[in-house]
Amino acid sequence: MRTGLVPAALGLLFLGGCGNLSDEPPLDSASPPAYDDSFIESSIGDASYLNPVLSSDSASGSVNGAVFNGLVKYDENIHITGDLAERWEVSQGGRVITFHLRKGVLWHDGAPFTAEDVLYTYERLKDPDVKTPHSSNFDKVLKVEAPDAWTVKVTYSEPYVPALESWGMGIVPKHVFGGAKGKDFNEHPANKSPVGTGPYRFKEWKVDEKIVLEANPDCFEGRPHIKRYIFRVIPDNSVEFLELRNKSIDTMLLTPDQYRAYGEFFEGYKRYRLPRGAYTYFAFNLGRPLFRGRNVRLALAHAVNKAELVDAVVMGLGRSASGPFLPLSWAYDPSVKDFEYDPALAVKLLAQEGWKDSDGDGILDKDGKPFAFTVVTNQGNKMRSLSAEIIQQQLKKIGVRMDIRVIEWSAFIKNFVDKKNFDALILGWTISPDPDQYSIWHSSQKKEGQYNFVGYGNPEVDRILEDGRREFDPQKRKRLYQKMHRIVHDDLPYIFLYYPDYLPVVHRRVEGIQMAPLSTFGFGWNFDKWFVREKNVRYPVRTAQ
Amino acid sequence: MIRLYISRIARDRLALAGAVMMLLLIALAAAAPWISPANYADQNLTERLSPPSARHWLGTDDLGRDVLSRMLWGTRVSLVVAFVAVGISTFFGTLVGLIAGYFGRWADAILMRFVDILLCFPTFFLILMVIAFLEPDIVNVMIVIGVTSWTGLARLVRGEALSLRERDFILAARALGASNSRVLFVHLLPNVAAPIVVSATLGVGGAILTESALSFLGLGVQPPDPSWGNMLSAGKDYIYFAWWLSVFPGLAILTTVMAFNLFGEGLRDALDPRS
Repeated sequence: MRTGLVPAALGLLFLGGCGNLSDEPPLDSASPPAYDDSFIESSIGDASYLNPVLSSDSASGSVNGAVFNGLVKYDENIHITGDLAERWEVSQGGRVITFHLRKGVLWHDGAPFTAEDVLYTYERLKDPDVKTPHSSNFDKVLKVEAPDAWTVKVTYSEPYVPALESWGMGIVPKHVFGGAKGKDFNEHPANKSPVGTGPYRFKEWKVDEKIVLEANPDCFEGRPHIKRYIFRVIPDNSVEFLELRNKSIDTMLLTPDQYRAYGEFFEGYKRYRLPRGAYTYFAFNLGRPLFRGRNVRLALAHAVNKAELVDAVVMGLGRSASGPFLPLSWAYDPSVKDFEYDPALAVKLLAQEGWKDSDGDGILDKDGKPFAFTVVTNQGNKMRSLSAEIIQQQLKKIGVRMDIRVIEWSAFIKNFVDKKNFDALILGWTISPDPDQYSIWHSSQKKEGQYNFVGYGNPEVDRILEDGRREFDPQKRKRLYQKMHRIVHDDLPYIFLYYPDYLPVVHRRVEGIQMAPLSTFGFGWNFDKWFVREKNVRYPVRTAQ
Repeated sequence: MIRLYISRIARDRLALAGAVMMLLLIALAAAAPWISPANYADQNLTERLSPPSARHWLGTDDLGRDVLSRMLWGTRVSLVVAFVAVGISTFFGTLVGLIAGYFGRWADAILMRFVDILLCFPTFFLILMVIAFLEPDIVNVMIVIGVTSWTGLARLVRGEALSLRERDFILAARALGASNSRVLFVHLLPNVAAPIVVSATLGVGGAILTESALSFLGLGVQPPDPSWGNMLSAGKDYIYFAWWLSVFPGLAILTTVMAFNLFGEGLRDALDPRS
């Protein structure tokens, strides 16, 4: 009985909470930038490893991005630019890259950064006992040498265009790890208290609560204005939104509903809307007899009304998708015409395949079996489960029964995706600016745990993916990937649903924010240049350092 | 005798209110297909998140579905889950309790130690663990709630059976050559019926809460089937701009659990021979 009261009481409590808002003083626009404010970001999950070699989740990624540097990075125009490497040369037809490292860079503990650290990081990436998800990026590397302390020469077995991007991987300090290998590296205490070269130093990590970073005044990119960077773990989006309303966090990613909600909720915050380097898709398990024939997939593609999804799921804050590349990418082929919403055609196509409602129960059948399957998706992503429910209704109209199962994330990945134990699924990909999607579409990537879990294989796409990795001419490369965009669209291993927009809010007192167009690597890519004016400081850090 | 109980309950205002609410809910659940203004799964995306109005008395949800219709169908889900789960737990609890209490000795020792072991586990976590291995659907939820919540009743029934088996009417039955099963089910069972009925009524409230909690966590009833728990869970994301999505299911859970508890407590007082 007592527990029964709680949900309803909470409901009433929140209801009563609406109303009075802004008591914020107006912002000052004249005082100089301060160096003592804090910035509070929230994250749905806690970090796993504060070590870029070991981590793959986005929570660890944001922290590691502030603490570590790679040899290269992307600039605001999605061009690769130097980070720890000052410059580089590509020679021997793309087989050799020589990086010239920036001199005078110091690790947070004061030790100098050298080519030895790059070698050590590379060795760990190739170490079979190190649990890294990034090793495949370095499969084509023959050797890495350090002719002197400031030069790193990488030799590839064949030209490999995404090579440069892969060196954006954060470099870890050899001296801190004491040269640890294999399991010792996986379990090294430095994975919990990292030492990097980046604009922020690690200060403390309270598991499942927060991670605190402090500005590194000696950073080679200049002293950051924001003194303290706090990542708070808030595992629930609606709680996160409450915190935002209480102004106890400075930034979060909004859902489309939150973005569209009354403007007064965001007084004190600035809303942003950017294209996001991600898309949501409906994937078929091509190993299942039901989906082997293209006509059946085509029929379903004609039965899904993407315009309705964009309206209702992302509330117009995004656009319908036509293929594996994003509209902003040069690999996107704008001439690809998407399948039109045409349920009558869908019914006709299915009838050609022998699917008819012979028993009059409203569900198509063939050889006595109904056209029924189950779509799985993960918990905690409202947009995906909403999409599933809308598609369920759309398919019902053409006589197809789709059941829905929403499963907790880790069970979803381990028991369903990795094991190919699904009829269809709804999921999303966050993709990097380089269009090399070898791991998703190449027919060699179908093994358990690999990303081609739908079992897609097309010799032409295989060839494009292989050539695309070898082709340095941007124009030729563009033609290759645009062709692939069209082929994958036509082959229909997925119904590409929509590209959702990226919807962050940031507290108004923060200035100097530049948003990069393809924000896969975090909208805060120039975070070290953000500042708060002296009179607007909200959480001053008083401790001397 | 029954007339006495009824008149006792009728005099207990709270229990009477509970009974009326309970009957009303059962009636609503039974009539859901006829009285729902719309199909619970029909989406109308142009009308999503519209507040309560003459057209949609309790508003619409994030897919434009009528909340009132979903609530009515959700009543069915909640009550069916609760009744079946309580049925299962009452069956096991009674059986184990009777056997342990009547036979005593090693049967009692083994069964009660087993009950003790089960009682060591926090029930909700036990349920979560079992659901994690099974497919989360309505049938599994009913079974799991049922088979994890019979231990309390088993102890209660055992206690009653222990004291009853020494009474003259049981001795008489045995002396007349009645078989064990006859003694158990014909002579013992009717005499422990009162605490079983009370415990079952109170159990319904608990089962509704457990189902809501599981659905709230996404482990119970799956979409598009409505249950109060999954409606509440879906509503919490919109608590600021669509309060009706969480308030109505919350109130429904509250009133239903209260109705069953009030009635259950009234029933206990009415059936108490000392009163």
